[in-house]
Amino acid sequence: MSSADNKRSVIVGIFVFLAIVILVAGIFTLAGQQKRLISTITVTAIFDDVAGLKTGNNVWFSGVKIGTIKNIKLYGDSQVEVTMSIEEKVQQFIRKNAAARISSESFIGNKNIVIDGGTQAAGQIEDGDRITAVNPLNTDDLMEKLQQNNENLVAITSDFKQITSRLVRGEGTIGAILTDSVMADNLRAMVANLQQTSNRTVAASNELSRFTSKLNRPGGLANSIATDTTVYSNLKTSMAELNEATNAAAAMMETLESTSKQLNNQNNAVGVLLSDQQFARQLQRTMQNLETSSQKFDQNMEALQSNILFRGFFRRQAKEQEKQQEQLQQAQPDSTNR
Amino acid sequence: MDSDNNKPGNARTRRRYTTTRRLDKMFVELASVYRFIARFFKEVWFPPYEIKEFIKQCYEIGVRSLPLISLTGFIIGIVFTNQSRPSLADFGATSLLPALISVAIVRAMGPLVTALIAAGRVGSSIGAELGSMRVTEQIDAMEVSATNPFKFLVVSRVLASTLMIPALTMYTTLVSLLGGYLNVHQNELTTLTTFFYQVFDAITFLDIIASSVKSVIFGFTIGMVGCYKGYNSSKGTEGVGKAANSSVVTAMFLIFIEELLIMQVINAIRAF
Repeated sequence: MSSADNKRSVIVGIFVFLAIVILVAGIFTLAGQQKRLISTITVTAIFDDVAGLKTGNNVWFSGVKIGTIKNIKLYGDSQVEVTMSIEEKVQQFIRKNAAARISSESFIGNKNIVIDGGTQAAGQIEDGDRITAVNPLNTDDLMEKLQQNNENLVAITSDFKQITSRLVRGEGTIGAILTDSVMADNLRAMVANLQQTSNRTVAASNELSRFTSKLNRPGGLANSIATDTTVYSNLKTSMAELNEATNAAAAMMETLESTSKQLNNQNNAVGVLLSDQQFARQLQRTMQNLETSSQKFDQNMEALQSNILFRGFFRRQAKEQEKQQEQLQQAQPDSTNR
Repeated sequence: MDSDNNKPGNARTRRRYTTTRRLDKMFVELASVYRFIARFFKEVWFPPYEIKEFIKQCYEIGVRSLPLISLTGFIIGIVFTNQSRPSLADFGATSLLPALISVAIVRAMGPLVTALIAAGRVGSSIGAELGSMRVTEQIDAMEVSATNPFKFLVVSRVLASTLMIPALTMYTTLVSLLGGYLNVHQNELTTLTTFFYQVFDAITFLDIIASSVKSVIFGFTIGMVGCYKGYNSSKGTEGVGKAANSSVVTAMFLIFIEELLIMQVINAIRAF
């Protein structure tokens, strides 16, 4: 082989070698970027709608790319099972109760899956786990909500229009304030008064502050209550006794109530006496009869005193009474002299 | 003579051609192409192997084409990036330029541009070289001297073309991406790391495999068309020019057809 042929062979060899290096470097870079050369775990999620997600799209966690979509297949009743390949080294940061949601890398960019949420208590995900899927809002839903917002906005602006027109016409308090100069002056005066009141309130609050500082002074009653354990203990005892007294009063009140209930009841003597009207009338008549009888009895007694047969008895009785009175009168001066 | 036979109503014409003269010619050409390709696959496996000629052709097709193809690829990278920017700027998405450039160059432009430039440079060269050898009866002389001209001339060139076009495609893709980076860096101040991160983020292994397979097929097509046209050129100096011209036109046409078909197959695989 001539030297020219040899040189040509070497150049061709270098040429091919460099081309292979470019190809291999591209393949390894791509593999590294797509996390093909690192150990991964597989996690699944079931979505109602994957919104155009494709195999190979990225999986993000806290804004960091942690894996790719490995497989997408229909599942169950019109649902979609998405299998994600996630770096094993981030396994410790993702919780079992984390949620996967479909997002976009940009406004016109690829779809991806974002994993977020989860609590420490749930523990880290394991290979083959199925995490919760948060279904994305589709465009129709967004447009429907937007339409509702538009309608609300129209209603709000319409109400606002009415309010402003009423304000311009001077209707209502605010309208009057805006249009009536007297009202404005009154309002200004009111604000001035309010200012004065506020100043007084400040002064009062200062006084109150001073008062409370006095209360907090050591040795005072309030301070003793707040700080002295003995006073607190006494107060506690007093409160306990007061509580007992209150309980006793309550028991007494219950008894009184029960008694008053019984008094209102006509089944007993006192109740009949207090509340039975028929019995009251009978009692009244009886009393009247008794009064009449006693008058007649007085008359009889007077007649009896005038009677010759009993006159002597009554005279003796009167003399004995006079005698007793005289003895009493004599006994009283003696006691006064002593 | 032919024109007389083609006159309507001529009974001899109907007997002489199975269909029509042009259709018959086309099918005969197709059969000839088939035989040529079949002969290549028959001859390629068995010795003697023309290593020196193969390396010489590799050098001619690959190394000698590198400056032209690299420069073209670099310019295409810059121009494509610059022309794509306004469309993405309308959406405020100029940050997606690296991804767009990546997909366009790796999937389509890298292999296609390399193949088209190689078809122009290498295809015409092979067609003219073999055509002139045919015209000057060098091929006949080789047959007489017990040298297999097909193995020496055709197999070595087709193999060299099939191997070198993929290698050139790797260079073109890299240089085009660098051209794109230059333009992106000038306008968006994107760093090289970020640029290539986005480039590789947008493509898949299927894209690289498809690009490689495509360039192998394009290389085989360029070599085979150039060799076929030159090897079967008609006598005379006019035939040499025709062979060179036909090599380029046919190779380019076939490259576009193949691009279309391969793209459909790759998309079907991607969807699967």
